[in-house]
Amino acid sequence: MAAQDGGAKMAAWARGVRGLLLDISGVLYDSGGGGGGAPIAGSAEAVRKIKASGLKLRFCTNETQATREKFVKKLQGLGFDISVAEVTAPAPAACRLLKERGLRPHLLVHDDLIPEFAEIDKTNPNCVVVGDAAENFSYANVNEAFRVLIGLEKPVLISLGRGRYYKETDGLKLDVGAYMKALEYACDVEAEVVGKPAKAFFESALAEMGVPPQQAIMIGDDIVNDVGGAQQCGMRAVQVRTGKYSKRRETEPSRQLSAVTAERQEDSGRSGTRGTVCSVPRPGCLREKPGHRLQKATWLPCCQASFRRQCGRSVLCAEIAGPAFQASADSAARARTRYGAGMLGRRFLSANRNYWDRGKKS
Amino acid sequence: MAARRALKAVLVDLSGTLHVEDSAVPGAQEALKRLRSAPVTIRFVTNTTKECKRDLLERLTKLGFDIAENEIFTSLTAARNLLEQKQVRPLLLVDEKALPDFTGVATEDPNAVVIGLAPEHFHYEMMNKAFRLILDGAPLIAIHKARYFKKKNGLALGPGPFVTGLEYATDTKATVVGKPEKTFFLEALRGTSCAPEEAVMIGDDCRDDVGGAQDAGMRGILVRTGKYRPGDEDKINPAPYLTCESFPEAVEHILDHML
Repeated sequence: MAAQDGGAKMAAWARGVRGLLLDISGVLYDSGGGGGGAPIAGSAEAVRKIKASGLKLRFCTNETQATREKFVKKLQGLGFDISVAEVTAPAPAACRLLKERGLRPHLLVHDDLIPEFAEIDKTNPNCVVVGDAAENFSYANVNEAFRVLIGLEKPVLISLGRGRYYKETDGLKLDVGAYMKALEYACDVEAEVVGKPAKAFFESALAEMGVPPQQAIMIGDDIVNDVGGAQQCGMRAVQVRTGKYSKRRETEPSRQLSAVTAERQEDSGRSGTRGTVCSVPRPGCLREKPGHRLQKATWLPCCQASFRRQCGRSVLCAEIAGPAFQASADSAARARTRYGAGMLGRRFLSANRNYWDRGKKS
Repeated sequence: MAARRALKAVLVDLSGTLHVEDSAVPGAQEALKRLRSAPVTIRFVTNTTKECKRDLLERLTKLGFDIAENEIFTSLTAARNLLEQKQVRPLLLVDEKALPDFTGVATEDPNAVVIGLAPEHFHYEMMNKAFRLILDGAPLIAIHKARYFKKKNGLALGPGPFVTGLEYATDTKATVVGKPEKTFFLEALRGTSCAPEEAVMIGDDCRDDVGGAQDAGMRGILVRTGKYRPGDEDKINPAPYLTCESFPEAVEHILDHML
């Protein structure tokens, strides 16, 4: 059991958790805009709470629009207690890979990321590295990367992440994954992904934190790259409804969706239906009861809203409400209607658990 | 083998079959004249995304071909037909020179995306604009999905990779309207009131022209001009109905054996 400094109880489902991996964009802050971004309400405070609680903490980001130093400085300016040593990011991981395999990259990345590759030999490239290049994704630049790749006898394409899109303050934008697919299609090759959701990336973050996957939780806004990728490693994962989260798949607008499973394919046709209490959950799931594991995803009621959980994965689907959250049904209902607010922390999670214990069924 | 129905329509590819760049394939003009003497409807089909029908017509007339504008069917026409069918307003990511083929189509407040070969539109801002529309439910229509093409100074990316990127980002599938899609050939035949079994396609691209046509139920004649490379005829299954030297020989065969 983790050291308890805060005095608050750990939620039953979170017993045994010693460390948290936090995604940054879409969880702590939204990028873009003049000031470099806007923090999500309550997040900075939540980070401080986590650090005060004695839980280990590591920031696990696919950010490739800037060096870690620059990125951390920006977040510190927005009020976050974060240091470079606490960040696991793709560029350094990619550099290790390039050195190991003697690869000399042609870089299709954001200008501000180039310093991360300062020590890498970039002459006479024998591979292409693509990151979130944003405005650098001009036709000319993408074409140049394509020409390098197609001219290689053994084309190697390394992608820093495979995200489809991310949220900035002025809307959704295409992420590196779209351009990775474009180059894959053009050259008929398969990219190697460094960064989420690659298993190796999560494993290195866990190793840096010194916590095994069973005792760690990942918190992210991207159902595939954050939640899905973490769970593939044996971690539990929490999906937040900020950032790029979309309630697109909700079919009952009146009901607040409070959970998304890692298996998106199963979502279709099943969202929004009222469920019955899961009577045979697997140990470690939200409702701990002795029993055997479920074979398939089951709807579970929670906090007057139904959510979906897939047994066997220990997906923890929790709603992240705003700072106004109080351990009362009314406040929780009000808080649930406010998307975009985020507060992490055991206080919320344990308070949430009270709802489940009260047996509020919807 | 079942008896073949009589031939009623001939589809002819343009670039590489009737002409190569700015010179006509030798003997093609006369061959076309002879084909017109037969009781068949002729359609000229092409995957171009950079030339409107008027420009194509001008070029072909200059080379001595006797062609009418309504006999030309391009992938742009196919896209336009689809837009009218779906009744949507497109964001047109196509070459400027292709715009005349979309006159009359409303483009204000777009709720569809059409992508052709238009490098000047494939920058981040425009791609994001298209991406957001598609994410909100706009259909994505691709004129074709060519991976790349040859330019004087090297290879250049076609629209295919960008369409693929958008498909991935939005988790949708594009509707491709150009060759070798079946719908392209069926659309081309629509105005002729002929069934695919009553038509033949003559082209230089084994996969896109002949393969696509045969998948649609037509017969395909591969000509050894344009982008043809020895061994191409072995690349598709079933093999082309006929492989011959050039367009004039193909016409000879049609007049002698297929009517």
